[in-house]
Amino acid sequence: MEASATTFFSCSLRSSATDRGRSLCFPQLKSSSKHLFSPSGRVSFSRPRNVLAVSADHHEPDGAKPMFTTIPGSDLPYHVKTSSKITVVGVGNVGMACAQTCVTEGLVDELALVDIQADKLRGEMLDLQHAAAFLPRVNIMADSDYAVSEGSDICIVTAGARQREGESRLSLLGRNLSLFKSIIPQLVRYSPDTILLIVSNPVDILTYLSWKISGFPPNRVIGTGTNLDSSRLRFLIADKFDVNAHNVHGYMVGEHGDSSVPLWSTLTIANMPVLSICDKDGVKYSRESLQELHKMVVGGAYEVIKLKGYTSWAIGYSTASLVKSLLRDQRRIHPVSVLAKGFYGIDKDVYLSLPSQLGRAGVLGVASVQMIEEERRKLHESSETIWDIQNQLQI
Amino acid sequence: MDIITKSCFSSSVRLSDSNHAVSLGFAHLQASTRFFPQTASVSFIRRKCVRAMSGDNMERGGVKPLFVKIPGSDLPTQIETRFKVTVVGVGNVGMACAQTCLTEDLVDELALVDIQADKLRGEMLDLQHAAAFLPRVKIVADTDYAISAGSDICIVTAGARQREGESRPSLLGRNLTLFKSIIPQLVHYSPNAILLIVSNPVDILTYVSWKLSGFPPNRVIGTGTNLDSSRLRFLIADKFDVNAHNVHGYMVGEHGDSSVPLWSTLTLANVPVLNVRDKNGVSYSKESLQELHRTVVESAYEVIKLKGYTSWAIGYSTASLVKSLLRDQRRIYPVSVRAKGFYGIENEVYLSLPSQLGRAGVLGVANVKMGEEEMQKLQQSAKTIWKLQSELEF
Repeated sequence: MEASATTFFSCSLRSSATDRGRSLCFPQLKSSSKHLFSPSGRVSFSRPRNVLAVSADHHEPDGAKPMFTTIPGSDLPYHVKTSSKITVVGVGNVGMACAQTCVTEGLVDELALVDIQADKLRGEMLDLQHAAAFLPRVNIMADSDYAVSEGSDICIVTAGARQREGESRLSLLGRNLSLFKSIIPQLVRYSPDTILLIVSNPVDILTYLSWKISGFPPNRVIGTGTNLDSSRLRFLIADKFDVNAHNVHGYMVGEHGDSSVPLWSTLTIANMPVLSICDKDGVKYSRESLQELHKMVVGGAYEVIKLKGYTSWAIGYSTASLVKSLLRDQRRIHPVSVLAKGFYGIDKDVYLSLPSQLGRAGVLGVASVQMIEEERRKLHESSETIWDIQNQLQI
Repeated sequence: MDIITKSCFSSSVRLSDSNHAVSLGFAHLQASTRFFPQTASVSFIRRKCVRAMSGDNMERGGVKPLFVKIPGSDLPTQIETRFKVTVVGVGNVGMACAQTCLTEDLVDELALVDIQADKLRGEMLDLQHAAAFLPRVKIVADTDYAISAGSDICIVTAGARQREGESRPSLLGRNLTLFKSIIPQLVHYSPNAILLIVSNPVDILTYVSWKLSGFPPNRVIGTGTNLDSSRLRFLIADKFDVNAHNVHGYMVGEHGDSSVPLWSTLTLANVPVLNVRDKNGVSYSKESLQELHRTVVESAYEVIKLKGYTSWAIGYSTASLVKSLLRDQRRIYPVSVRAKGFYGIENEVYLSLPSQLGRAGVLGVANVKMGEEEMQKLQQSAKTIWKLQSELEF
């Protein structure tokens, strides 16, 4: 994973040798210097060298592609703050799983819970507070008034109607649209520098909506996207090959839903392409046989909902892993829902999942992974699906 | 992480093209039948894959096995699981216990048991889907207790939950029959397990479990006042603006209305709490401490009234006990143990006393200093429990 950073870094050194190179490597400087730099200018200057600040249209003179490309319109300041605060909006099963996992993993110093149901909200807050002796010191608060969310580093939005049995994520949309119109402006008002992390479904469209409503630069509005789908896929493959899921690397991109795209061509186990090895039963897979696994992943959420009424634990862990990457500036790559226009030939104004580097400033850039023609085509289809729905709802 | 070996990929595409009819990729079978006799069992395929890669033959027909055993290795077919925990009951409490144990990396195998098959399977899948975020754990579930075989700890959370305003003893009748079917099955499949009872009323149900199981008392424990004690410590720490880890003290006796806070040995930074003044110069009086006790006793009821049940706090509490037991931590916890003979208690009851927990279960009960009044209250608590117990047809 770190090898890519070395390649990029040497590239930027070469480019910064000339004026033209410098402007290509630091486009942010010219277009939005008043946003990028703090008054002292000190910390921001060091930032672009470590973070790939190359716009989507940029092409290296020798044709080499940079590893990461910032999303146009991004604003990547450099925060220096010691205590972390996150707000979770919605204290249903998903919201509480996110909150509790973040607390257990020691990711936050302050946790604010917001919901409209005052009793349930207070009950959940007390239940977590009662565990204080088993946890590092965390300040846990809750209120139906968004003022409690003030100064949050990350606002996780899980509020909204949940999928009914058999209901597709897209059909939830109408019900959640008006809800977000009341939630997002309040979060923005009390935490203007926050990162919005959207979990509610359909996550891609709701993240797009949150971006539009908030007026935030796109690096600070992220959807949990296919992070969980990818990990489900990795689990299934790890199970088949009898290895640890940590040794299976690969992404599912596109819509978090039926039209998600597993990138089989770059899925590896112990750095071996999955399509070139056999599993513990000696079975070798073709891409067609792997479709079965894809179906299991897409159907996985529906199955859990049918059996227990909702999903909670897996999405809780998934969200906590994103929170960790963001708050602790881990610079890890996760397939999350980001503003996709301009990447991989996508020309629609949509959010969908792409492998993206996450750090304290949010989405630092979208990774340029190799996709074969079929995968690229399916990604476009995914973006069309989302775009159609967005149009129908006149977002 | 994302190494792309395009040549590998294109070679495998060629392979599957030339064996177009074979859907699941048994191409290697055809390529290599001249080396092995013709059989169609799965084990044949497995053996072939392994055999094909021994010695110099790293690849046959473009198919590479993932791992190659070192020649001469002696690998057992079955690796013994180090830590296995069974959770009976996948309601809110059971799942909070299970998930917290997982997050805190306490188990290698987790078994879930319940009577509701759908809910059970749903919860198992939801946890399994998180595999990429967790260390490698085997998560299994079944309505059949055979799934619990070989457990180190069996956590029982099954049972009706307290309704709003319902006291814990009134749950009793409903849970007794249930335990008569649960405990013998757990014992049958894990005769060496430690039983950790969470269901309420926990003291009586732990006693019942002890009697039903025939286990020695060190291996039957109730979560007891572990959580009450931590709630108390939180409230005091909050008032004095310190970390709860620096407040030390126990609540003993019944996990319920007649619990006994041991004020005389409750310290904050090793100073007796009655001598501590907060930032406003205020110290606790005995009366204000009573108020505090009442708040703790009622806090569970309050949460139940507000959100319908409690889950997170008891989940953490149980996980901390599991950790002390499995990892032989020898830490002291106020948990429900067989209390007869301690502190002048004459009744054969289970109630919470400060006890040292390790891999063998309850290693012993601590001899803490108790004031006269505290000892009397404790004995009173024992009598309360005894009275309820004797009304049971048991």
